[in-house]
Parts: sequence; structure tokens; C-alpha cells
Amino acid sequence: MKSAVILILVASPLMAQDPLATQLDAVAKVASVMVDGDVAHRIQTPRSAAALLEKNPRDPWAAADNYDVDHAAYTASKKTLIRLSRLCPSTCDVNLWMPVPASPRRIQIVIRNVNEMSQFWTWGVLHQEVPAEMARVLDTGARVTVSRRQGMISVLAPVRDSLGDIVGLVEVVSRAKPDPQENVL
Amino acid sequence: MKACFALLLAATLSPAADLSLLPEHARPDPFGAVVPADRSTGIQPARSLTLDAPRASYVSCHLLVSIPEGGAYRLTVTSPLATDLHREWFHYLPASKRYYPDALVPVASPYRSQLPEPGNHIPKQTVQSFWLDIWVPAGTSPGSHQVKATLESAGAPASVAIEVRVLKAVVPDSDPVVMDHNSYGTSWLAAQYPALAKKVGTGFYLSDEFFSLIHAYHRIFYEHRGVYHQLGYGHGGKVGPEFAPRLEGSGKTKRIADWTLYDKHFGPLLDGSAFAGTRRGPRPIPYVYLPVNPEWPASFLWWGEPGYEREFVNVMSGMEAHLRQKGWTRTKYELFFNHKKRYKAFHWDGDETRFPKDMSFYAEYARLMKLAIPSASPVQWLFRTDASWQMERQFKDLAGIINFWVCGGGMFGWYAENAPILKQRGDIVWTYGGTPTVDLPASHITTDLLRPWILGVDGFVRWQTVMPGPDPWFQFTGGGEGIVYPGDRFGINAPIPSIRLKLQRNASQDLALLDSFKSRVGAGTLRSEAARQFNGTPLEAWRSPRPKLADTNPEEWSNVTIDEAIPKDPRFEDKLDAAAWQRVRGYILKLTQEARP
Repeated sequence: MKSAVILILVASPLMAQDPLATQLDAVAKVASVMVDGDVAHRIQTPRSAAALLEKNPRDPWAAADNYDVDHAAYTASKKTLIRLSRLCPSTCDVNLWMPVPASPRRIQIVIRNVNEMSQFWTWGVLHQEVPAEMARVLDTGARVTVSRRQGMISVLAPVRDSLGDIVGLVEVVSRAKPDPQENVL
Repeated sequence: MKACFALLLAATLSPAADLSLLPEHARPDPFGAVVPADRSTGIQPARSLTLDAPRASYVSCHLLVSIPEGGAYRLTVTSPLATDLHREWFHYLPASKRYYPDALVPVASPYRSQLPEPGNHIPKQTVQSFWLDIWVPAGTSPGSHQVKATLESAGAPASVAIEVRVLKAVVPDSDPVVMDHNSYGTSWLAAQYPALAKKVGTGFYLSDEFFSLIHAYHRIFYEHRGVYHQLGYGHGGKVGPEFAPRLEGSGKTKRIADWTLYDKHFGPLLDGSAFAGTRRGPRPIPYVYLPVNPEWPASFLWWGEPGYEREFVNVMSGMEAHLRQKGWTRTKYELFFNHKKRYKAFHWDGDETRFPKDMSFYAEYARLMKLAIPSASPVQWLFRTDASWQMERQFKDLAGIINFWVCGGGMFGWYAENAPILKQRGDIVWTYGGTPTVDLPASHITTDLLRPWILGVDGFVRWQTVMPGPDPWFQFTGGGEGIVYPGDRFGINAPIPSIRLKLQRNASQDLALLDSFKSRVGAGTLRSEAARQFNGTPLEAWRSPRPKLADTNPEEWSNVTIDEAIPKDPRFEDKLDAAAWQRVRGYILKLTQEARP
């Protein structure tokens, strides 16, 4: 009940104005059910997670060079995200974000998809500070609709594990005018 | 009439001007001195210059217009041989607070302007330099040809003389080391050509102007004895619409629906017509990336399921048929994966694979390609990988799967004995690296040619060559990711070359000629002498000895341990002088004179 109230407060103004936001919200709602938080939790390998926050001024790429995932967990999760993106009425991506276990104020995008759309990801970074909108999702379980970048809309929705804990979130993201050349690099 | 009047008026106000020459490897600054990086040559501007020119090649030099008090001038070049004149742009490098010339703006002779050059905005500029290319066609009569340049400004005219001694030797058309220039997508074109993009409007990326621009990039590299690669998909597998046929359907119904943009883009490159009118003549591009990635043509949704194979084979079979029917069969089509798991879109590293568990994917894609493309097809495809961490293991484990190796240049030195082994089994072996910045001595750009040739490698990839930086004109970072510049600023809807590209081209010509003496002199002798002339090194110095690190698990390596295992040899770095390649050229010219007719 509490989360529903927050959802209305947060999401309604934009959704009322924009049918795309409404459509993405519907996908995000399904995503919260379909994305398996236990599997998502297993995507990054323990070795990679251990190296994620290491800082070596002589080797700024150490964490990236050691970034690694469990093939089965990754593939299963990505396929689910692709299926979800096919629910969107127009081009969209469904990205998976997971908090960094060793640093609660950091979050990392774990799976991106073909159009490489995101309103939050700083290109190339392995992890970043948790944006306020994501913190709200992780703390409350609310779905949050965001329009930070012109022409783009994201709906953030929680991902839960088998205990019912929120372990991550999805970003269902689209833009009013897709750019065919963007992100071909 | 108006220009004549302006010159006459200036003559009454300004003191005498001067015209002088510098050889190609002594780059000038906007005040008449040689740039610091090239000063070790000890060369000073002169009024005459002799250039020895094998046929089917360019020779080049700098022309320096000096007007201490500033003012209008006219520069005229007269020549019995074809010439290309370029105004040298002086880039300001904030890091060193110095100016270096690099971008070359094509100008016609006679060229009229004034000093300081209005567009370059250099306070107290006294010298404007020009890069002069002289083209010596294969059919040119050997002997002396006189090129003259004249400066008209205030006071008496000044002139310089360039003697081009055309040799009997003809530079072979093919290069022993392919110089490859890489790039990614086309989204940057609108940003680098704002005037053109604005003029064309919202349909820019579908316009004739857009495709002409792409072809112009291929043309500039081809004219400079190079190859241009454009990767047409992103790390998430998104394919630019001009890089692949449009697909429709899913699963067993997936098929190619439309070739329009692909054919418009690649047709003139694959049949060679994009190169009509060039001095090297039209011919198809030798290599091109396929758009294949884990998300194209088959959706990753079906990975590991029958639908993935069906989608992949359906589309790639259709692609093979189209290329075959069009007769586009002289180009090698590269299956190449560029994605890395750090970019979070796929679960294995296709580029610079580090983890052994990721290698199984290569075998699977080779299997799919063999299913799609008949072994007797005239459409040639290669399976390329860019290797670093695991290259030694990959050489063995991926034998018969990968047949085009592009290896990290530094690390390859540890394993260079593999080059002949790989080539013997029919593989192509290139190395890759960056592009020397403008503030390094002029010879550094040629190391990337000479080292592969000495190691018996077939090519060198400059990994990014079209991004000279956000403001290359006034706040330049050196050009480590750009060796050509957008012409938009000068009203040119095409890239313009750089001095570094010209130096590289001239060295490529030389190397092709040097390589042609292999049967007479022997490859070992040629390599040894070229190395000795270049920087006084023995051949062993051109590769790193195998370190202990190479016998440990690459998963445990770091950039620090790798760096420590590649010895730093100042003879290739700080001690490498600007004239290094000129000594190699001197050796080659000596060989041409010794050659029997």
C-alpha cells in the first residue's frame, strides 16, 4: 500500500502527460515479476566483485580487466530482459542494475542491451554513485519514472530475490526519437 | 586587379619577405624555427633542395613563406610534374604552449593570403609553411626535373628551386606492411561536419552527401597507401543502418529485407568505383568488417537454441549470395568481435580475450559461418581476432578457427617467433597500437611501419584515426587518435590529410621499394641494415625478450606487470631522432643505384 502511494506520487505526473511513460511502466511492472533476483545476484563472479573497487594508480584499468561474469546467470537474465523489451511498443532497452555489495552507495549496470540506452549510465564506468531515483526504488520498492535527458524516459522497477529482498532494479528506457547512428561505436 | 592593388599597396609599407625550404622531416613552427621535436636534425631552411624520387611515388618538402612584418603575399609553384600544395595548420598545444604543424589544408597555386594567417589566429606569426607533394608517375622519364616556387609580396620577389631527380626505380604498387586506419561508426560525422550536416538537414544520414563523405575517408587513406576500417556496430550489438542489410522476421522467418543502404555505402567500395580518379586507380577495398556480432544477424535471445543458428545461417547465406551475385569478391570480409564484458552488454570478451572460458565462442561462430558460406564460395571471409592477454594460447587453441590475428604491438614482441608459424599455416598477422602525437619527432610515425616489417608481420592497425579531439585547431591534445582532420572548417566536405599521414605514406613507398630488393640482397640483410640506419639497433632490439611473466597465468597479470615486462629502449623513444627514416631512405636510394637495369 505504501509503495503504491509513492508510485502514484512519483510516477503519475509524467505518466499522465506521456503515453510512452505509461507503456514503459507497464513493462517495468512485469519486469519486477519476471527478473530473478537470485540469478541476477550470481552474475558477477566473486573474483571480479573482489577487484571491482580496487584502486591502483599505476593500473587504472585493473577492475575493468578483471571484470567477469557467470555465463549461465548472465545469459538467462539477459534473455529475460530482451523478452521484456519486446513488450515495449517502440524501441526500448531493459537494463539491469545491481548495488555494489562492498559499497552500498555504489551501483553498477550489469546488463545492457542492443540500443545501449540509459539515462543513468556514464559510458564506460564499471560502477557509479547510486542516483537518488534508484535509491528510492531500492529503499521503497516503488517504480519510479524518470526523464533526465531530453526525449528519454526511464521507468525504474525493483528486482527481488526469493527472500523478498530488493537486490537490484531494472531500467526500462526509451526515447521519443530513436537515433540509428547513436552508440554504434 | 584588386589583389594586384593590394600587393602594390603592401609593397610600399612592408619590408622584404623570404621564401625557403625544409625537408619533410624538419617541421617548421609559425616563427621560422624547426619545431623542438625535430631540431636534432640541425637542419636550417634553405633556398634549394634536391629530392631523389623513384617513379610511382611522391616526394615532399615544406615551403616557408616568411614575412617578419606581416602583410599580403602570393605563392606560386611551377612544375613539370603534378604537385599538390597544402597550407600547414599550426595547432596550439596547451600542454607545452607550443605550435606544431599537422593538418594540411589543400590550396591551389597561386595561393594568396597574408601573414599572420587570418584563420589560424597566431599572435605575431611571421612564417606560414606549406606542404608540397610532387607526384612522379610510373611513366616519368628518369632525370632531373625542376620545380620552382615564387613568393610575391612587399619588396623583391623571392624564389626557391627544387630539383627532383627521377630515378629508374619504380615503387611497387603493393605494400609489404598494410597500414590500417580504424574507426567506429559514423555518428561522429555530423559533429565533425556541422556545416554540411546543417545544410543537408535531418536526412543527413541517408543523404548522398553522407555516403560521399564516408567514401572520401576511404579515398584519403587509399591515396596515402593505407586502408580504412569502419566498425559498424556498438558494444551492445546495435548495427548502424548503413553497415548491414535491413532484416525482418524472427526465427525461421528471419531474412534480409533490404540492401539499399548497405549497397549505397559499400557498393562503390567493393567494386572500386569510389576510387575512380585517384592516382593509384580504382580498385576494391582489400578488407571490410562484417556487421556480425552476438546480436546480429541472430538475436541473442536465441543464443544456444536452434533459432540462433537458423537466423544466423539464413541471413549470412543471403549475404554471401548477394555479395557473390554483385561480384564483390575481391574484398576479404572479416568476422570480428569487438565487444568486451566490461561494457556490460555481453558475457564474453570478443576483443582482447582474457578468460579462457570465453574462447569456446570462437569455435561456435566459425561453425556457424561454415554452415552459412559454402567452402567453394568466391566470397572470401576471414575470422579475425584482436589478441593481447591470451595471444600465445590463442595461437594454439584457435588454430584453424582464427586466421587473421591482430596482436597488441608491445606484447607481440614476446611471441614474435610465432609470426612465420602463423603465416605458414595461411594466417594473416598484424599488430596494433596508437598514433604518435605531433609533438614527437617526425620519425616516430614510421616506427609503426618498420617494426612490423622487421618482425615479418603483414600489417599495423592504428586503432582510432579519425578523432583528432574536441578542438584540434586551437586546443590540441596531440592527435593520438586522429591522423586526418575534418575539412568542414575550410568548406571541404571531406577529410584533409596531416603531415604525419604524409610522412607515413612516404615511408610506405620507401618500404615497398626496400622490400622489392629481398630477392637480390636477402631479407635478413635488408632488415639488419634498415634497423641499423634507423636507430643504430640490431634486429634483436626490435622485439622484447620473452619475460618470466609469459610463463604465468595471464588472468593474474596486470598492466603494471605487463609494462614492467616490456623493456623500455630509449633508442625507440627519447633518443629516436627526427632523421631516422631519412637514413633508411638513404640506404634504399643507394640500393636503387646499385640495382642493375
